[in-house]
Amino acid sequence: MSLIRRHHDCDVLIIGSGAGGATTAATLAEAGHDVLVVEEGSWVPQGSVAPFSLEQMDRQYRSGGVTVALGLPSIAYTEGRCAGGGTEVNSGLYRRPPGDTLRRWRDEYGIVDFRDDDIDEICDEVETALSVQTVPGAQTPASEILRRGADALGWQHDEIPRWMAYPHGGDATAGKRQSMTETYLPRAMTAGARVLTEHRLDHLVMHRSRALRAELTSTADGDRPVTISFRDVIVCGGAIQTPAILQRSGLRRRIGRTLAVHPTVKLAARFDGEVNTPEDVSVVQVKEFAPEISFGGSASQPGLVALALTDNWRDFGQVVNAWPELVIYYAAITSQGRGRVQAVPGFRDPVVTYRLTKRDRDLLGQGLARLALVMLEAGALEVYPSFRDAPRVRSRRDLADLTGAFAATKASVMTVHLCSTAPMGEDRRRCATDSFGKVHDVDNVYVNDAALLPDAPGVNPQASVMAVAIRNARRFVDAKAG
Amino acid sequence: MSRPAVLAAPVGRFADSLLARELPALDDDRRSATVAFVQRRVDGLPSVTRLGVTIVSHGIDIVRRVAGNERMLDIAIGLPLPLVSEYPRLVRSLGFSYVWETWPHTADDGAST
Repeated sequence: MSLIRRHHDCDVLIIGSGAGGATTAATLAEAGHDVLVVEEGSWVPQGSVAPFSLEQMDRQYRSGGVTVALGLPSIAYTEGRCAGGGTEVNSGLYRRPPGDTLRRWRDEYGIVDFRDDDIDEICDEVETALSVQTVPGAQTPASEILRRGADALGWQHDEIPRWMAYPHGGDATAGKRQSMTETYLPRAMTAGARVLTEHRLDHLVMHRSRALRAELTSTADGDRPVTISFRDVIVCGGAIQTPAILQRSGLRRRIGRTLAVHPTVKLAARFDGEVNTPEDVSVVQVKEFAPEISFGGSASQPGLVALALTDNWRDFGQVVNAWPELVIYYAAITSQGRGRVQAVPGFRDPVVTYRLTKRDRDLLGQGLARLALVMLEAGALEVYPSFRDAPRVRSRRDLADLTGAFAATKASVMTVHLCSTAPMGEDRRRCATDSFGKVHDVDNVYVNDAALLPDAPGVNPQASVMAVAIRNARRFVDAKAG
Repeated sequence: MSRPAVLAAPVGRFADSLLARELPALDDDRRSATVAFVQRRVDGLPSVTRLGVTIVSHGIDIVRRVAGNERMLDIAIGLPLPLVSEYPRLVRSLGFSYVWETWPHTADDGAST
């Protein structure tokens, strides 16, 4: 049975509703534009699924959270696929983009009108809108462990603020996430924006240098075909989907060729007593070796503890039943490697690849060893690094064994920070879009999400994404008004 | 899902064998539920990855028919080939995370505690 095609019209079509799409929608709708947001996933109300659970992965992640950038080693990554995108499922940690990173982007990529002060002003607004703050009450044991270990070593550490609202003096686990479905998306809708969830964009129909319409599939409606006509389209599908959408639409120049990530390796550490808070992560990060290496806490649901032990199950498996005494931590690095996102004709999903450099692989090993040291100094009874044939670490003497046995190709490397697949700037040899996200040589197609960031910023990137997206959306509004 | 249903595809048969070896005390119902979960997740993989996993799983299934379950597992787990060796790793990761999230009080051999 063929379904009748549905059709919508709008001035501005925004594809994706995460940190880039939601802020763009609110900015444009509040300026009076007729905005339609399409989102591939569902609208899942905050609090209706347990954080970091398999159910959440089923309902709010692409492919149930099982996505991978192929390489040696392959790197597991996750993408939010729901209203609000990654902001609904990430750790909620907020870091402004560092000033030297902003200046490097501006100078190396030729980004015009990209001033630190302007970005800082936007960050001020974002922090108010998202209620960015440190935990007013007690932190979780996982945070205290990182702080204690770093203190013992004299290493720099910080509590990272989060976009969370806390009841009066609330503890870490009492926070309510101020994600896009709680903030910018309602703002956009109040200003008149329409939001279509469960609509997957197939491609944009182009004619010469203009996009004429979008062709979509309504997955909630028996895969009904849908078309949308627009004046302008802003693609905010994230660093993987945005380049795939553009490539499927015939736009390929400098698109999808420079994927940047923060690769991470993990370990589980066991302590004398219950320290695991399954529904939350550490808000403390160790920055002694930043930006090259940072340490932080990972989700530690029992299933994820088991996952962290699987690389050496024969030796580590027997501690799985003590999961309340175990917490998972990561060492993240800034990578000099790059990856690719490549749409493949006949396939719905792109092929993603990533190549770590030798320096990256070495840094992952150093990071893991130093993280293990932090754990020992914090009082860990034992440390279980996540790589094949890893040794159990009980004392400083074992760290040499860890370093000697580590190889990135044996490790479970993963990332949640994906950037830079359509970098912005006036340097056309390096950039897919101009300084404000308009795709080079195309009249009405824009990008406004993590794909624009010239590289991975070395910190949690959501603040960078939101600040850049709001800056570019305001420029769009001004340009249309002028 | 019934055992015959979860064992209908190569991925299900492989997951069942792997779990039976590595979590021998996991009871049949739990193992079937876990295999069904693994199969669901593999079915939901991005399309190109799913194609790769399907090809590898059929290859391993041929080895199983020729060499038997135990030998097939030895070969699959011991294969040093990049990407191919990630198939057992993927199945184990999915299966183990499901077991301990669904039944957190499970011993390392799969027995209820």
